[in-house]
Amino acid sequence: MRWPDANGSRGRDSEVSISAGPAIVAGAGPIVAMGGAEFVMRPHNEALHDYVLRLVRRPGPARICLLPTASGDPQEQISSFHAAMDRRDCKPTSISLFRLGETSVDLEGHLLEQDVIYVTGGNMVNLMALWREHGLDRILVEAHRRGTVLCGYSAGSMCWFEFGVSRGVGKPVSTRGLGLIEGSHCVHYSQDPLRRSAYRELVAAGALPPGLALDDHAAAMFREGRMVEAVRSTESAAARRVESSDGQVIETPIETRMLRPVERCRESALEEMRELRAYLGRSGPGTRRR
Amino acid sequence: MEVQTESNVIRFPQWAEDKRQIVSFGGGGFSMEAANTLLDDYVLSLSGKERPRVCFIPTASGDADHYVARFYRAFSAERCIPSHISLFRRERGAENLQAHLLAQDLIYVGGGSVISLLGTWRAHGLDRMLRSAWEHGVILCGLSAGSLCWYSEGVTSFHGEVKRYRGLGLLPWSNCVHYGDEDGRREAYHAHLQAGMCPGYAASDGAALHFVGPRMVGAVASRPKARAWCVGDRGEAISEKPLPIRYLGEPPAPTGSGDLSAVA
Repeated sequence: MRWPDANGSRGRDSEVSISAGPAIVAGAGPIVAMGGAEFVMRPHNEALHDYVLRLVRRPGPARICLLPTASGDPQEQISSFHAAMDRRDCKPTSISLFRLGETSVDLEGHLLEQDVIYVTGGNMVNLMALWREHGLDRILVEAHRRGTVLCGYSAGSMCWFEFGVSRGVGKPVSTRGLGLIEGSHCVHYSQDPLRRSAYRELVAAGALPPGLALDDHAAAMFREGRMVEAVRSTESAAARRVESSDGQVIETPIETRMLRPVERCRESALEEMRELRAYLGRSGPGTRRR
Repeated sequence: MEVQTESNVIRFPQWAEDKRQIVSFGGGGFSMEAANTLLDDYVLSLSGKERPRVCFIPTASGDADHYVARFYRAFSAERCIPSHISLFRRERGAENLQAHLLAQDLIYVGGGSVISLLGTWRAHGLDRMLRSAWEHGVILCGLSAGSLCWYSEGVTSFHGEVKRYRGLGLLPWSNCVHYGDEDGRREAYHAHLQAGMCPGYAASDGAALHFVGPRMVGAVASRPKARAWCVGDRGEAISEKPLPIRYLGEPPAPTGSGDLSAVA
């Protein structure tokens, strides 16, 4: 048990114990689980993305690759990711498993040279099935071992845990993830009542191991399988530990640190204005061209 | 009442009594031939109904919105009762997958990545549901990945390199689409056949193979030059037997003739 409040009580059924997941490796990269986020330029989104990028230790622009698999690789999402990352000092790319035919991509080579791998939300059942089908499960575990920062929101957050709760077609169901983090995980906790109640029922019944519930704009950072801290980018976003005791669900709030994005946002907005001015007039005090 | 035992059931080899039908396009239909409706008209005519129920499955494209919109434009409510199944966007598309699929006259599978298609289907049990729909007489069709999926195996070049995949196996053959239209695919198919892939069918863009049960009963084309072949490993060389093919655009224009005797 690698939770901060570990109590060692993991007398689980075989379903759970099979998924022991890959052994935790010293020096493995951090994982940031986000309960919900977007690439739209809003202070709370910007703060989370800055938080993720600050985890990169290598100097120079961070290489960050988007995996939009869970939502079927929609172009609008890919474009808004690029727009969000272009505002920062990083080198964004994306891999679309549905359009691999258009450009030949060395999946393993490309993913293993990233500093950050960012997984979007969508359908977790599809996400896991597609990763297995394309061998990405293995590649992502290897990237993790080599120190790559793994992150994502919604399905892209639950995928790193042993189990998540997928709201696919019909009723929410427990879905197996990569198992890099022990336990279960539920996203959009305060935003999606149907998922929340399904998750609570599954944990209460012992069908899911205890785990982490995150609201939209709440995130938790893990290193070597242990939660290091929880953060939030809006005042109300909460993180909770959910477990069962005698068939009852117990929710324990996890303290979160508020991320302050305002300065960075103002700065980037100013920078954009300067760039725009430079582009339009190619003159004036705002010119950043050397 | 007499209970019929297995031994006294006479199994006719007559394919005409088999209601399981698949039409696999080497390429074509509304996805690839915007102004040419011949293949889509052909599959629509097969049910014999005035307004058949048609369900589009765009999984191989990741349920791309623009693709779904193009389907609804091509299969308008005037000629059929169109619907679609989305496995990525739960808020859209049909709810009860199994019941919805079984209620169709035609299931139309779009193109994209066959590996992604099969992985997603298996995760949702669509592989089983489609087999059951097929057994119940729902006509299955599709192009490209939507053709490859019905066969036991085949080659896909969706990954840049040509790869072997395992399909649903409703048709006990192998399959190669866009045959002769894309460099390297034909050669790779031949290499895989020599390495032990089961014999099968290859179709160019604009060519469609019509199966009743496991049996190929005819090939049709939306372009005069479209071709289809039966391909297998003969030991010393690959045999590539051209199949008789009927161009659907020949005058007199086909007036929704979907009866099997015409194509057999």
